[in-house]
Amino acid sequence: MSELDPVRVEIIRNALVSAAEEMSVTIWRTSRSSVVREILDYSTCVFDAGGHSVAQAARMPVHLNSMAACLEDLLAGPMPIETWNDGDIIVTNDPYSGGQHLPDILTFKPVFFEGRRIAIAGVLVHHLDVGGGAAGSYDASATEIYQEGFQIPPLKIDEGGRRNQAVIELLLANSREPANVGGDFASQLAALDIGVAGLQRIAQRYGADALAEATKTIQNFSETAMRQLIGAVPDGVYAFEDFVDDDGIDLDQPLKIRAVLHVTSDQLMVDLTGSSGQARGPVNCTLNMTRSAVICAILMSIGSEVPANAGCYRPISISAPEGTVVNARHPAPVANRMAVGHRIVNAVMGAFAQALPDQVPAAYYGVSYAYALNAENDDGSRQVYFDLECGGWGGHPDSDGADGFSCGFHNIANSPMEMIESVYPVTFLRYSLIPDSGGAGKHRGGLGLAREFRLDAPAGSFAANLDRFTIAPYGLGGGAAGRPGRLMFRPADSTEEQALSSKVSGLRLESGDVVRLETAGGGGHGPASERDLNASKHDLEEGYIS
Amino acid sequence: MSIPSQIGTAAAVRVAVDIGGTFTDIQVLDEDSGACFAHKVASRPDDPAAALIDGLQQAAERFGFDLSQVSMLIHGTTIATNAVLERKLPMGALVTTSGFEDVLEIGRHMRRDVYANRAESRSLLIPRSRRFGVVERIRADGCVECEPTPDELKVLANHIAECGAETLAICCLNAHVNSDHERAIAAAIATEMPTLPISMSSDISPEFREFERTSTTVLNALLMPVVGDYLACLENQLRGHGLMAPVYLVQSNGGVATPAVAASQPARLLLSGPSGGARAAEILAEVLGDKNLVAVDMGGTSYDVSLVQDGRIRLINLSEVDGCPVRLPMVEMRTIGAGGGSLATTDDGQSLRVGPHSAGADPGPACYGRGGDRPTVTDANCHLGRIDASHFLGGTMTLHPTVAARALKKDVAEPLGMDLDTAADGVLRVAVSHMASAIRLSLFEKGLDPADFALVSFGGASGLHACDTATDLNIRTVIFPRDPGTLSAWGMLWSDITHNISRSVLMPACEDSEHHLAPIIAAMTDQGHESLAADGIGASDHRIECELDLRYPGQAYEIAVPYGQEGGIGAALSAFHDAHQAQFSHCDETSPVDIVNVRMTAHGLLRKPAAAPAIAPTKVAQPNVRQVYLDGTWRDLLVYERQHLPDDDLIGPLIIEDPHSTLLIPTGWSLRLALAGEIIARYEGTEP
Repeated sequence: MSELDPVRVEIIRNALVSAAEEMSVTIWRTSRSSVVREILDYSTCVFDAGGHSVAQAARMPVHLNSMAACLEDLLAGPMPIETWNDGDIIVTNDPYSGGQHLPDILTFKPVFFEGRRIAIAGVLVHHLDVGGGAAGSYDASATEIYQEGFQIPPLKIDEGGRRNQAVIELLLANSREPANVGGDFASQLAALDIGVAGLQRIAQRYGADALAEATKTIQNFSETAMRQLIGAVPDGVYAFEDFVDDDGIDLDQPLKIRAVLHVTSDQLMVDLTGSSGQARGPVNCTLNMTRSAVICAILMSIGSEVPANAGCYRPISISAPEGTVVNARHPAPVANRMAVGHRIVNAVMGAFAQALPDQVPAAYYGVSYAYALNAENDDGSRQVYFDLECGGWGGHPDSDGADGFSCGFHNIANSPMEMIESVYPVTFLRYSLIPDSGGAGKHRGGLGLAREFRLDAPAGSFAANLDRFTIAPYGLGGGAAGRPGRLMFRPADSTEEQALSSKVSGLRLESGDVVRLETAGGGGHGPASERDLNASKHDLEEGYIS
Repeated sequence: MSIPSQIGTAAAVRVAVDIGGTFTDIQVLDEDSGACFAHKVASRPDDPAAALIDGLQQAAERFGFDLSQVSMLIHGTTIATNAVLERKLPMGALVTTSGFEDVLEIGRHMRRDVYANRAESRSLLIPRSRRFGVVERIRADGCVECEPTPDELKVLANHIAECGAETLAICCLNAHVNSDHERAIAAAIATEMPTLPISMSSDISPEFREFERTSTTVLNALLMPVVGDYLACLENQLRGHGLMAPVYLVQSNGGVATPAVAASQPARLLLSGPSGGARAAEILAEVLGDKNLVAVDMGGTSYDVSLVQDGRIRLINLSEVDGCPVRLPMVEMRTIGAGGGSLATTDDGQSLRVGPHSAGADPGPACYGRGGDRPTVTDANCHLGRIDASHFLGGTMTLHPTVAARALKKDVAEPLGMDLDTAADGVLRVAVSHMASAIRLSLFEKGLDPADFALVSFGGASGLHACDTATDLNIRTVIFPRDPGTLSAWGMLWSDITHNISRSVLMPACEDSEHHLAPIIAAMTDQGHESLAADGIGASDHRIECELDLRYPGQAYEIAVPYGQEGGIGAALSAFHDAHQAQFSHCDETSPVDIVNVRMTAHGLLRKPAAAPAIAPTKVAQPNVRQVYLDGTWRDLLVYERQHLPDDDLIGPLIIEDPHSTLLIPTGWSLRLALAGEIIARYEGTEP
């Protein structure tokens, strides 16, 4: 086959990005739950005929790189590509089949053109509740995946265009929020069809062969770019360790994440050997989750400009021994896998900082701050208010860390409080930056956030999967660590606050009880003594420091 | 039919002035004959009012009228937008609910660049030290949980006086449901500081989502002194020059407002740039009987896409300026970085990228010969003979094809191992693919098919690519309006006064809702009539339209559907399900539906003189011939002057030179002239 000219490649690349974007727009506009509609917890991706990613609508690093890995696992395991027929949709949420945790449901649909498979469209959506021991399917006390919700092994929900409605009914029967989850799932499936139509249009216009050739070129381009970036890192071995507070079950037992980078010419091996053994509590990562975190850290450290697709994974290898928190064995629980996931990003970036001290920032807050409130209303109905928060960025070698801004492994929008109050029996009392929470340094860490709310329903229960309460986000180059987060509880009839632990499972609440989440600030970069005096003065005047 | 080329000494004259970054465009309408006249002067960013007066005087002299004949002046200005972009804003303060002073700073805290290693900069309109909390709380249902005390308000007023604020925004939580506390705060501060401009969120954007409401209110507050001063100065100068007619300001919603309304709600001017062009497209839709149009405006740095659907401009209710959300109705527009100045780059010889970065106005494209050495879309057009290097911008500028060729060779052809012509052609093909994607996405997100639309091309650089873009989209008709360089001003001539009034209601839609909505709608209708009466519009020219924003419970996005006495809520619901099906490929007629907002648009109709037909060509000139690279080869194309086009239909490929732009009509397209001077190109071939 003759090589495709660069103009045609670029035109097809635009069209592929548009196809992923069109899927993304579909979900945003049609989904129903607050997780999807305001927090934007979903991603879309286009794969080549062999299942290698080509283009994605950039939203969540955590989803994007693991969707590709999941598809590879499906194809190598239970769902070989020959079995994917026109009109099929493959669905799974099984972390041990390439998924992440049970609320994330992945769907893939092969795209056929003139009788030939030319691509695969993929959509991942975080669903509000898929059952399990706690609202939002975040049971911090789970010790087995069976307690975490409804499991969907890889299966065909559509076969030859015929939908197996029973799968949806089973899913909804196991959800605390069937209406929301049903609506979101319909959006998810509709988005796949939009993606299929977009990809067929490309094949119609430019030919299936040109499409295949262009996807190969696009992946090769990312591979070349990634090899150049790795080549620019001095050869050597760089190690760094960071810790998760605990797994919520075995308290006071920090979990170690050890990352060792082996940089050899244009190849990078990331070895996580030496990380703690798998935890009893639900903070474990399956291997794909770990891969996704490592890729995210690499892109953030050296490759933020490289279009992320299958090509940029090629020069990278990852080693994570089975039975550890970074490669858990079935049936270890994984709901709060972000705790370890974020920490892998922190550790890998810390290792990069050894190699590239002028390029890599200090630790960001490193937690997804997921919490859920299950309100029990007078009429017996229940409502799940689920939310996510963020904290401060680490100080950068050349600038301060951002205050209260999404960083690293996730990328989330906050939920408007007026929207929540209009739907849920909740009243907010505070949403603010926390002065002094950023690590001091030549370039200080960004500030954490405080979000405080009161339950107005007669009763309810509260669950949270948090971290960085004891082990703070690290500083670099002499900068101080950021202030750790905390979770405070104030009963309705009291002025006394109690500190809760970072992982809360089913805390009973009564009307008037107040919960305040305080998120961590980022670590500082460089010695505080070298900080520009005007910057300190400004911080003081504006109340960022006291 | 003969049309005078001068305006009669007794005629009433309507004038529209559109001040842009580079040029101030003027359109003058003789209300008696319906004839329009275009004039252009250089803008003066330092003193926009002076350029306006200069331009008016020049136009009056050129077309033979006196400023005292002006019956109405319609004015589009970027003064609000520029003040925000350049941060030339007064010192503002913000009062909000205690505990929530940082809402403005935290924003929605989502980043754009997913793998960023350093955080993108965020816009902070009012610093922390000038944001003040008041101990007060209104609940989501409007009940008062905690009232502000008079003592605290007194202390607050002192703080605001001490901080040196020149303008004040007030945005309390849930004030869109109950504005009592905002009013109490405003009253307490006004007592202490009677001249301080105050913007309340319950007036400016009374809908839920606290950050977007705060941002909109703060922008409004910061713009009040800027726009107020400008309008006072402008009116003063106009009166001084004998222009006594009413002045109207173009708003983002496609309508106009009186100076009094614009001065108190200046945020309504923030995204008014596209309004004139969109209004022009709406009129073209009416005149040409083509109800579905995609209007594209390609300038030096950007490519703007807006839609006319079923004869109406599409509006949206949320957009942003420089990262700051503005939640007010505005003409929906998708903008991408694809203009004449968009840079062509290669990534290590593997692929060709065009835009989004631009060579800007300075140095501009390489062929401008101002020191730029990086190739742009204009350079590719120049090298391929598609624009006349010796007669660029109506002969005001000479281009340098050899410089263009050098830049294209060095940065595109050599790295990619292509010959120069193919490389230049590739730059244009990639640019066209971006434009087509932008249009497709604009239509796609509404469930619309490009094949049902005609393309309207305006702006200096659009005519070279419009037909190719249309072909890519399966669009078979392209309209090139007359005076594409002053089309926005021309559209403004036909504006109406428009007030938008909205209320968040958040209730389930059911038979009872009509009963609940009735008093709200009655109050909003009264407000609409009052506002129009205050503008001096007689009751017979009031047109009130009501819409409901509906959604399935929990959805992020609402769909606005008409709501009226006929059909009532039932008709609104079925319109909603249909629209949902059309836009999102699913709907659920059994699902409950929420009413989120009531939106009312009060139009005050301004008189519409009949437009005259175009001036018939005085002489038909023989076309020239130019060597142009087209369809992979160099060939001789006929080049016509737009003013001297023959009456007969023409068949592409050919080129038409307009004073400020060039139209390229490719092979397979035919042309005809429409009554008002538009050129209509149609694709005659089979499937593109």
